[in-house]
Amino acid sequence: MRKLFLFLVLVLSICFVYATGTVVADDEDHGGDIVYTKPLKAVIFSHKAHTEDIGLQCDWCHEETFEMEALHMQETANFDMESLCNERYCGTCHNGDISFSTTTQCARCHIGVKGYNEMVRKGLIEPEEGDVIPAETDDH
Amino acid sequence: MKFPKMDFEGLKKESPALISSQERRNFLKMGLAITGVYAGGQILSVVSRVNEVYASTTEFLKKYPYKPHYSMVVRQGLCIDCEQCISACKETNNVPDYGYRTRILTKVVTDAIGRQREFIPTLCNHCNEPPCTRACPTKATYKNKVNGIVMMESKKCIGCKMCVLACPYEARYFNDEKRAIDKCNFCYDTRISKGEKLTACSYICPTGARIFGDISNPDNVVYKMVHQIEKQVWVLRPESGSKPNVFYMKATRSSPWELRRQADAR
Repeated sequence: MRKLFLFLVLVLSICFVYATGTVVADDEDHGGDIVYTKPLKAVIFSHKAHTEDIGLQCDWCHEETFEMEALHMQETANFDMESLCNERYCGTCHNGDISFSTTTQCARCHIGVKGYNEMVRKGLIEPEEGDVIPAETDDH
Repeated sequence: MKFPKMDFEGLKKESPALISSQERRNFLKMGLAITGVYAGGQILSVVSRVNEVYASTTEFLKKYPYKPHYSMVVRQGLCIDCEQCISACKETNNVPDYGYRTRILTKVVTDAIGRQREFIPTLCNHCNEPPCTRACPTKATYKNKVNGIVMMESKKCIGCKMCVLACPYEARYFNDEKRAIDKCNFCYDTRISKGEKLTACSYICPTGARIFGDISNPDNVVYKMVHQIEKQVWVLRPESGSKPNVFYMKATRSSPWELRRQADAR
């Protein structure tokens, strides 16, 4: 009986350590992937690629170029490619000098409806109201 | 299976030198070019001339035999898979949810430098030598003699789906409501014959990835795009020999002329 109790304690403590570990790993110090759906579906912004991978600091973009609130910008009427080409929003850096220009490599950020559906299917983002997410297609 | 016995020994000996120019011309008229003579002059080697490039204007005009010769340029790098073309097409041409007249394929190269994703819009290529019309037993699908659009006459269609098998571009689906095959017809019945200049998809395309026009007219944007010196232009599945009329090229938004949507340019 005593042995069984010890075993249970051991199992539970392992579970507890594992669970806390997961929580710590989930607690990123950046905003994760942001998927814009306006004006067109869909554009991805990866916080990981910009901070962890190339080491940009939060305050370089927040809050002057981008509000802290995710997707705040897409409620703005001029959040479109023309603004970006005139060095606003993403175009502040993506102007061809600091990083690749917004006039090139369209599908580097544009993941399209297919990319959006894929992320919803994987549970990475919540679908918007009225979205019809088809089952996996073979359009590759 | 038994093959008929051929009397090779009794055949007349031939060599490239012995073939008269008249005979060569006859071969060329058949769409074949003589490339050599094998087996001691008993076998003549010929290749098809379908993929030949044209040098003179007269020959070149024969390449675009329709007037207007409707055609589309797909500027592949500009497609962002917003799928507005698909929605516009479905709305305009009453395409059901299970069907499609145009699709967007995705190509992902995960170990590429920079951009790792590419979207490729596909639709009926309105081929000059359409394999589908040859396969159709009832002539329900045919080439429009004036503008070269590959059309469907639903009431003649018996639903045998031979055209679906024959099409190299997977551009056809069976429409349950029409009880017939349905496909892209460059919006001929819904827009072009009513005086519109663009198909629904090229009109709505926000990036100008789909450019529609008359390739037989040197003043038309499609002609100009396909005949640029600097651009590589290709077609899908050229090996099918179908001479498609949908051309593909790479593009970016970088030059001002290319930045424009086709609908705004008019």
